[in-house]
Amino acid sequence: MRVIKQKPMTVIERLYIFEAIRGLWTTLKHAARGLFRYETLPTISYPEGQPEIRNTYRAKHRLMLRPDGTPRCVACGMCAAACPAHCIFIEATQSDDPRIEKRVMRFDIDHLTCVFCGLCAEACPVDALRMDTKQIIFEHRSREDFVAHLYDLTNWDPKDYPNDEQSQMAPGGTKNAEARKVWGMEVK
Amino acid sequence: MSNYYNMPKLPTENSPKVEIFVDDRAVMVPGDTNLLEALKAVGIETPHVCYHPYLPVSGNCRQCLVEQEGPRGRMLVISCYTPVTPGMKIYTPASSARVKNARKATQEFMLVNHPLDCPICDKAGECTLQENYMEAGQNEGRLRPEYGKNYHGNPEHQFIDAKGQLRGGKHVDIGPRILLDEERCVQCDRCVRFMRSIAKDEQLQLAGRADHTYITTFPGEKLDHEYDLCVTDVCPTGAMTAKYFRFQKRVWLLAHTPTISMDDSLGANIWLDHADGRIYRVMPRCNPEVNRSWLSNTSRLAFQQFDKNRLPAIDASAIQISGGKVALVAGGACTNEDLAALKMLKDALGDRAELFGGSLLKVGAPDGIAKSGDPVANRAGMQLMGFADVAELLKRAGEFSNLITVNADLYGEDAAAAKALDKISNRIALSAFDDATAKKAKVAFGIRHWSEVQGTMVNSLNILQKLSAAPTCPDEKLAPAYEVISTLAGNKFNSACEAFMKAREYVPAFADITYDAIKSTGKLLGGNA
Repeated sequence: MRVIKQKPMTVIERLYIFEAIRGLWTTLKHAARGLFRYETLPTISYPEGQPEIRNTYRAKHRLMLRPDGTPRCVACGMCAAACPAHCIFIEATQSDDPRIEKRVMRFDIDHLTCVFCGLCAEACPVDALRMDTKQIIFEHRSREDFVAHLYDLTNWDPKDYPNDEQSQMAPGGTKNAEARKVWGMEVK
Repeated sequence: MSNYYNMPKLPTENSPKVEIFVDDRAVMVPGDTNLLEALKAVGIETPHVCYHPYLPVSGNCRQCLVEQEGPRGRMLVISCYTPVTPGMKIYTPASSARVKNARKATQEFMLVNHPLDCPICDKAGECTLQENYMEAGQNEGRLRPEYGKNYHGNPEHQFIDAKGQLRGGKHVDIGPRILLDEERCVQCDRCVRFMRSIAKDEQLQLAGRADHTYITTFPGEKLDHEYDLCVTDVCPTGAMTAKYFRFQKRVWLLAHTPTISMDDSLGANIWLDHADGRIYRVMPRCNPEVNRSWLSNTSRLAFQQFDKNRLPAIDASAIQISGGKVALVAGGACTNEDLAALKMLKDALGDRAELFGGSLLKVGAPDGIAKSGDPVANRAGMQLMGFADVAELLKRAGEFSNLITVNADLYGEDAAAAKALDKISNRIALSAFDDATAKKAKVAFGIRHWSEVQGTMVNSLNILQKLSAAPTCPDEKLAPAYEVISTLAGNKFNSACEAFMKAREYVPAFADITYDAIKSTGKLLGGNA
């Protein structure tokens, strides 16, 4: 067994009063810093100041879009199968596009049940589900509002993702016109 | 390729046991069967694609290769078409790297042009190719991406996809109930053999040769047969998919309840596949004596009506039996438990009650696959319990003043003949559905459908079969028929087991049989009971 020997206290330390004053001084120092040199504090004052979030942070989900604006999701249910919290509900239907077989009809994510593990985004075989919206605040009036539906998940702006090529191919993105040409290509 | 193959001989309980050597170990296997079944009997599973126990052996997939010691050394043979001979020496992948590699290579070839559709394929989760891949394959892809998939089946259905690959035949409308995906097809020809040898109506054909082979119908014709949905069962891949189940549910989310289809007296063994409280599909459950692996479209698609037009549960006190004679009529879907409860009610009412059973529908001819043609499923059970035929009731309808029908839609079956029943004033209908009889009745009492009750039935082959309850009842308040009837009789059965105990008292053939003694394939009742 390893025994850590504590250094015996010196006489001044054992007197207590000087150590107490030293502790108070630390507190006072930080209080003064908050008053006069607020910017240098390592914390942020949360509701006014927002933390910087990277796009790798597992935030609220979004569904990627094809150049024609339909969700890339093929309703395979891999995300629902991978989900440890069972918070994804998918219903599939036949696609109107002859090149695509299956299309998603209902895609609900219950963000009250979601544990934000990111396994769904990892399981997605067509890169349709992502968690890079950087939205970490969820505030709603009722429990039902916490369930994100297909509309909420696909309703994002390509301008918020300037460096992401896939996002720019969606309608409104800079590469949309180009991608639309390839997408609408006559295939036979 | 010859058009006619032999049906495989399957091992039975009476098969002679012979000694063969598997991986140099002596094992006793059934001697009158093929090697694949013999190995299965001793617990060695052999991956196979084209072999099906109830279809003629065609041996084209070469997936079930094993090594056999012969006069010219160890040779690769297909186990599905090699008969067992005493003393033969067999090597499986457990000891032979050559077998392992051969199977792996076969697997790899089969998957070369197979699309990577698994996420959107309805068969994913119960696909033979997936199983074989996990068991024997596990190849890393050696396909060069610049080459891609290359489909050369039906030239009419070829197209170039957005990646520049040659693809084809993604959803070919091959019939009113079936959709064909030619790309997923591995040309095992199970569906062709099914239509040829089981359905006896050769509507499907393999066209083309080698890599260009594809499944098709005759020009201008469609796949349309009473048993055509069975081809989706035998299809080892997702090539043949049923339109009614297409994209409805991923198969791993379905729970399975083994039960009996109560719309025919053969009592086809089925799985009710259900999720979130509703049935999504009905699959045949293999029973070698009864329906093998087949199920008619009528039985398979009947589930779509199970939750529609249901009667609500009402208070049992609404059922009032007035003075005068009582006719108790059991319909075809009544289980032995319901019949026992009816018989108990007759005993309680005394001589003024009489038991009738059956339906006014015509009895057809057996088709030799999965239907006997008799719409009264439990007719044998009714005969064992001493129920008179319902035609008798129509003749003597004037004598009765009370009519209690259980699952018997007499007015719906033959309105003209059932008119004779109008003479009976107090008509009470116990039925799952709000059918014609329920509408004509004074009191219509909602009960559980046969898919939602536990029970037993005796089929036309005198086999006692067990029904299980699927948790798909639309209303928890609905009670099984035996519970309602036994309440009327004043001795309520709290479980199907209690009701069966009562049935045992009435029927000598059921004596000593318990629910546990009835196997999943049923129990043959001895003699001509």
